[in-house]
Amino acid sequence: MENTEDHQGTEATALVLNIQRMSTEDGPGIRTTVFLKGCSLACDWCHNPESIDSRAQIVWHGVNCIGCKTCVGVCPFAAVSVDDKGLTVDRDLCSVCGSCAEECPTMARELVGKRWRLSELVDEVAKDRAYFERSGGGITVSGGEPIVQSAFAAALLEQCRAAGLHTVLDTCGMGSEKRLLAVSEHADIVLYDLKLADSEAHQRHTGQDNGRIMLNLLALRDQMRRSGTARELWIRTPLIPGVTATEDNIRRLGEFIASNLGDSLSRWELCAFNNLCGDKYDRLGLEWTYGGRDLMTRRRLARLGGVAKAAGVDGGRIYVTGASRLEK
Amino acid sequence: MATQAEQGPTHPIKEPGELSERIRSLRSFYFDGTRRDWNNEFTCWTTGTPWDLLYDETTYHIVPETYAFFPPFRASTLQAARTVGLPGDFWSQSLVERRAWFIRQVMVNEVPREVLPGDLLAGARFNILASRCLDKREARQRERKVNGRHGATQAVKWFHDHGYGNAGATSGHLIPDHRRALEIGWKGIHADLEDKYGELSDRDRKGRKGAQLKAMMIAAEMPRDLAREYARLCRELAGGEEDSGRAGELNTMADNLERVPWEPSQTFWEAIQALWINHMLVMSDENYPGPGVSFGRLDQILLPLWEASLGQGMDREFGKEILRCFWIHANTAYDAMIQLGGNQGITAGFGQLISLSGMGPDGQDMTNDLTYALLEVIDEMSPILEPKPNVRLHENSPEELLDKIVEMVATSQGAPFLLNFDERSMAGLLRQARKAGVQRLIHPGNVHDYASVGCLENTMVGNDRSGTVDLNLNLLKAVELALTGGWDLLPFTDPITGKQDPMRRDGAGTGDATQFKDWSQFWEAFATQMRGIVGRSVELYELSEAARAEYCPTPYLSCLVGGCAEQALDVTQGGAELSFVTIEGVTFATAVDSLLAIQSMVFEDHKCTMAELIQALKDNWEGHEVLQAWAQNRVPKYGRDDDRADRMARDVMDLWTEETWKHRTRSTNRRFRPGMLSWNYWVSDGYVMAASADGRPKGQFLSNAICPSNGADIHGPTANANSVGKSLGGLVEGGGDWGDRNNSLPSGASHTITFNPSLLKDPEHREMFKAFLRGYCRNGGTALQINMLDVEMLKDAQRHPQQYRHLLVRVTGYNAYFSSIGRELQDEIIARESHRQM
Repeated sequence: MENTEDHQGTEATALVLNIQRMSTEDGPGIRTTVFLKGCSLACDWCHNPESIDSRAQIVWHGVNCIGCKTCVGVCPFAAVSVDDKGLTVDRDLCSVCGSCAEECPTMARELVGKRWRLSELVDEVAKDRAYFERSGGGITVSGGEPIVQSAFAAALLEQCRAAGLHTVLDTCGMGSEKRLLAVSEHADIVLYDLKLADSEAHQRHTGQDNGRIMLNLLALRDQMRRSGTARELWIRTPLIPGVTATEDNIRRLGEFIASNLGDSLSRWELCAFNNLCGDKYDRLGLEWTYGGRDLMTRRRLARLGGVAKAAGVDGGRIYVTGASRLEK
Repeated sequence: MATQAEQGPTHPIKEPGELSERIRSLRSFYFDGTRRDWNNEFTCWTTGTPWDLLYDETTYHIVPETYAFFPPFRASTLQAARTVGLPGDFWSQSLVERRAWFIRQVMVNEVPREVLPGDLLAGARFNILASRCLDKREARQRERKVNGRHGATQAVKWFHDHGYGNAGATSGHLIPDHRRALEIGWKGIHADLEDKYGELSDRDRKGRKGAQLKAMMIAAEMPRDLAREYARLCRELAGGEEDSGRAGELNTMADNLERVPWEPSQTFWEAIQALWINHMLVMSDENYPGPGVSFGRLDQILLPLWEASLGQGMDREFGKEILRCFWIHANTAYDAMIQLGGNQGITAGFGQLISLSGMGPDGQDMTNDLTYALLEVIDEMSPILEPKPNVRLHENSPEELLDKIVEMVATSQGAPFLLNFDERSMAGLLRQARKAGVQRLIHPGNVHDYASVGCLENTMVGNDRSGTVDLNLNLLKAVELALTGGWDLLPFTDPITGKQDPMRRDGAGTGDATQFKDWSQFWEAFATQMRGIVGRSVELYELSEAARAEYCPTPYLSCLVGGCAEQALDVTQGGAELSFVTIEGVTFATAVDSLLAIQSMVFEDHKCTMAELIQALKDNWEGHEVLQAWAQNRVPKYGRDDDRADRMARDVMDLWTEETWKHRTRSTNRRFRPGMLSWNYWVSDGYVMAASADGRPKGQFLSNAICPSNGADIHGPTANANSVGKSLGGLVEGGGDWGDRNNSLPSGASHTITFNPSLLKDPEHREMFKAFLRGYCRNGGTALQINMLDVEMLKDAQRHPQQYRHLLVRVTGYNAYFSSIGRELQDEIIARESHRQM
């Protein structure tokens, strides 16, 4: 696997999936969320499947394609072909060189993953300082998993904080403790994903067991307690029907949180499943197991919130977010 | 003029909240439209001469849709006119005196008077088309200047047909000195005119100046005489009224009208009665219903009497009831052409604007109880539109005000008001003071008392006419002329006669663009063409300005505009102390994006040669789809907070605004100043202007005012706002026009952003929205119209994805561009949105 952290000259760079301006869902206030590419987990429900691979990838937005076949002509590996059904890429032949994306006039072929220099990225984020300052917002570094590119993520948060911006790290917790703590040290708030209490199920759905994640969370808790400054820990649990959204799972996660985090926990967000990302799988030429599933009912969401509270977590810190099914 | 009419899809119409029986019946009476017993449709009045003129087409020269109808409008208004008996010496008077007498005669003695059931204010019919009172010689001369071969009408038609824009001396669009009229009454204004007349030399009294002041004195008696008639009617109605409560109201109305607007107003009720009559007579005087005749800072002007009346026992709710009646009256302006338009303008706006809140002299906030009372009335009366509110925000605006604003946005599908941003707006006005050398009249000590007219056009109050919609120039035309070396890209064919105008070089001869070696050569050609079109637009404007100055005095309005009495000069002749004409730059983003496309495609990436690009534009991109797609998708665009693109925007802004300051009208010595407002031209002129290098084909909309091109602002509202702020001049540490703010556009810049309703879904998100507004105050432009994404817009986006590339939908923190997701999911989101709005 290509090392996604790179040093061009003396300045650090990273492969960035996307920069989301005026993000309102990744921590407090108006934020700019930097999604770094590459994840240490591979959750089968992932809503940003293009974030998992640490390398750049090429996607095809069929709705934008005008059928000019420029991509067919410029591909040095003859990996692209077009027929009545649309465009096909032979992923064995494709080297992700990016020629087709560079030449595509409509951006239907898009290279996902752009290399950014640290200083440029800090400048880009600082553009919305006026909105951050008035909303308690700032930068959120998300992914993928930021600690896959930990040195860059740490430097980015450190420099943003030095520039007076509020900093948030959004992590799945999977990776070395040392790297995680090196990044989280520069975050005013850490958003930490807890998905499945059952380690075997965790392994099955995400590719890794949860042992390291649980231990890292405790190490993070200790780091936050030691630092003495006002920092917050938010736990986030995606509610995936039939997987994480079971009463048993929520109760077990709740018990873990209640007995280990105590006052270190500021929020526990239960984020309802949504099915908007199906197209992203199509674009990557992947199957998505959860495509056919409905959104959850309001009642079901409320029920899971109740289970979380019953497990011993302070009800005032539990937030159930996201869209529910349309009901009459 | 209105910005709301063209803002896209219609919404399910909001129903007003709990209204009193009085207001409910007044409101439904109003919405009965043509089924009413009487209405405020234009009535027509003539001197009876065969050459008489009622309909002044020059005031509609900025409305190209009406050009074809000028002859029938003129003929039919004359046919419908009733003859007014004239005094024996009428024709020996000066034109301005004739007109003052005629308007007073019509309003006081000819137009019928009514008081509506339950109404607390008098002053019903005011839409008139009255004789211009020209004698035969004047009529003939005016006809030649306006409708002759080289007259203003032919000239503006040519200007519009060839894609330059339009221009015409237009009525309204100013803020009369209501504060003075309420404080000293017409009695005080009349006494002042007498003094000024007395100060004239004998020679001046017999000349133009004396005539002007005498005419203004006639006009100054009109509100007194009209109020007296209405007082009589109220007494009569009170006498026949069985309900003693209502009889009491009618008697108080009569008491009010016997005093005001002649005497100074002493109660809140008197002040609103006086304000209404003073205002409606401006529309009578100009024969123009509404557009842009604005009120200024009502919550400041009326506050002392609001507080005094509350102190004397007026119930706050009754005070609001008076205001609600005022709202009903303002809406009757729409009756002018009630037979032509069906809905009394529910979706349009005439722009009788009021300014609310805003900054005081020391940067303190001026929000008060009356501000909130007015906002409550607006909220309760919505969707009735007039008077339109413009809420002024600044860095010290209180949380409570922002909460109220956000609540109003959240409960109606778009904001029922515009937001104006003080710091940036004041920066523009101080720049104007410096550029035009009027620091005596606009300076750091008084600039906070500015207010907006029409929609968002910033002016000073009571002594300022800045012709804020009089000249609308398509900046994109300069790009077209630079590409062709001064020729139209396509020949113009008259759609009615089928006749093609001969091709000729109308612009500067900037040479063959296909031979240009580098970008700087193209930029030079563009700059030359820009100077050329600004000059040409100014020459066009001169034609109607000169005609108005000579033949269309408005002596009543002149009484309410500081400078006119002092100089004994009508407001139409440049009598206002601050007398400017605003060039509104249209198609800004389309022009900027086209320049970026030429720079990047021809000179940097060599995607095409200049000759290929020009051919593609001549072919309306047909057969050049790949190049068109590149222009649409792959070149930098304004509106993304991309410093390179925004620098181009800044360069274009500097170029055209600096050129604008160089010009003055010859006939009236009014300086030109820049602004950005596009009314509906950005839609309609899209069918007039040739294809543009940004990938836009002929027939597609141009960009609106200072907004990025449709679909270009793919990085969201903050990036969009930052680009707008930068294009205006941005922030300069320790050296802006006002504090660290720069602003090239003293008249302001219309900016619309569409937000996702999920941003207002809970208190936490509403706080973010408030923070966005506060951030906009620092980084953004002068004014903001907030639209909320709605179902119709989403459906439109399904049909035209290219126009909506920026449309972000959010569900559960998951964001996706609507145009990039599949049909099924789009339908799901539409269903969800429909559900929410039910």
